[in-house]
Amino acid sequence: MRIRKPWTPWDNSIDYKTLPGAMGVFEIADSKQKTIYIGKASGKSPFGLRGELFLCFGDKSDFDGQNWIHPRMGQPLPVIREHAAYFRYEVNHMYYSRWIEILTRFNEDHGRLPTGNLEDSEVIPKLGRYHWKTKESGTEN
Amino acid sequence: MVDFRISDEQKLIIDNVRRLIREEIRPLEEDLDPDAFSLPPSEKDRLVSMVKEMGLYQMDVPTEYGGPGIDIVTRTLVAEELSQHRAGLYAPAYGVFGHGPPGQLYNATDEQKEKYLWPVIRGEKSAFFGLSEPSGGSDPARAIKTRGIKDGDDWVINGGKLWNSGADTADFGIVYVRTDPSKGREGISAFLIDTETPGFRVERLVQVLRAHYTTELSFTDMRIPSQNLLGKEGGGFALANEYLSMQRIPYSATGLGVAILAHEMAMDWAKQRETFGQPLANRQAIQWMLVDNEIDIRTGRWACLQAADLAHRGEPFRFESSMAKLVATEGAGRVVDRSMQIFGGLGMSKDLPLERWYRELRIRRIGEGPSEVQRIVMARDLLNIRSGS
Repeated sequence: MRIRKPWTPWDNSIDYKTLPGAMGVFEIADSKQKTIYIGKASGKSPFGLRGELFLCFGDKSDFDGQNWIHPRMGQPLPVIREHAAYFRYEVNHMYYSRWIEILTRFNEDHGRLPTGNLEDSEVIPKLGRYHWKTKESGTEN
Repeated sequence: MVDFRISDEQKLIIDNVRRLIREEIRPLEEDLDPDAFSLPPSEKDRLVSMVKEMGLYQMDVPTEYGGPGIDIVTRTLVAEELSQHRAGLYAPAYGVFGHGPPGQLYNATDEQKEKYLWPVIRGEKSAFFGLSEPSGGSDPARAIKTRGIKDGDDWVINGGKLWNSGADTADFGIVYVRTDPSKGREGISAFLIDTETPGFRVERLVQVLRAHYTTELSFTDMRIPSQNLLGKEGGGFALANEYLSMQRIPYSATGLGVAILAHEMAMDWAKQRETFGQPLANRQAIQWMLVDNEIDIRTGRWACLQAADLAHRGEPFRFESSMAKLVATEGAGRVVDRSMQIFGGLGMSKDLPLERWYRELRIRRIGEGPSEVQRIVMARDLLNIRSGS
């Protein structure tokens, strides 16, 4: 199943302390709330979900002087740089298998991965099949 | 008296496997996600080629099917080596030694072998194993509710399965179905089921403690041709049991492998880490933990090798196989737990593989028959009680 939380619009004035520094999974959507990226804050992610989400939206704010900046801050994927508008996340210690679950569901419903994941250089393990589609099929939500 | 000294040939095989794990697999893991269970395809292809050159690809496949013909004792020793890396417990060497076919397929008809066995051996198809159901897994003779009804030349199957690792990526599965509800274990048959069959669904990927998920399946009016019956009608349970006992031995040794590596890491750390002016290794509390680790590892190894030795000689080994499973998996869990204690805070972090082994070893006390079921199996043998009594 996909992340069930409602989409939250990114607000450049967001207090970073309100985002968890924990491991987990997240989705990024464009202004029409179409998913453009499914990501994870892994055991290697500096600053957890907080760091990964700021990495996605980071070029929209000035982070000078912050002491917890993601090493790749300012270098989001092109589709994220141009279209990211909404996010939703889930704190999850089993982030890796949950990430694959969400990717598999999206891939089954839409016949392809989100654009951002296609652009990303991270190797995705072989995804399986559900052999059925959800009502989201074709909507790209 | 059992002689557990290894032969020159065994040593050569073990050395080759050990070198590949230490010099190829472990360095690659530095760049992988701490919970990763697969390699980038280019790296996997490169390592599979290396393994083929070693002559160890598809090591579980018998010689008559083109495999290297490794005996169960050597296979057990190799299992202990294969798992000595971060993902090693559930993805030993990331599968570069090949995924042999489920043993039950060697009982298939020639036509079935052509369609299912050979493609798995060639690495073209993969299979899942469908035994457990939401109603239970430890007592499949009673728990299997999935029903098969003969309809002309087909069987119509309805029901579902749970805890089927790899069913979402598999091409087919061996699924156990109740074909005669008036009988107990003799009413269960095994079927070869293509995952593209209409009515087959992966309901969900089930998230568990380990890095890799498992699945829940449903079957709705799934029509399976009679020629996909594996073995005799009503012979499914015996088919499952025969192979589960054998697989239990290397499965147990795999757990020992990560225990050995955790123990080595803990010993190195105890020698270098100083507290209050002395290395941890000088503290009696730490020394006792390390000695207890060593005892658990040696006890588990002895139990695994004894079971393997009996199986190799064609003698009854069910009791010993269950004992190996219980002793090795429970002991390995204790070893990793103690090793984490020795590492302190670092042992809890994702910087080290200990936390992953800790989570995954907890599952080992349930998977392939929980410790309690192993005790039931052993008690039946000890007391000469027929199963089902």
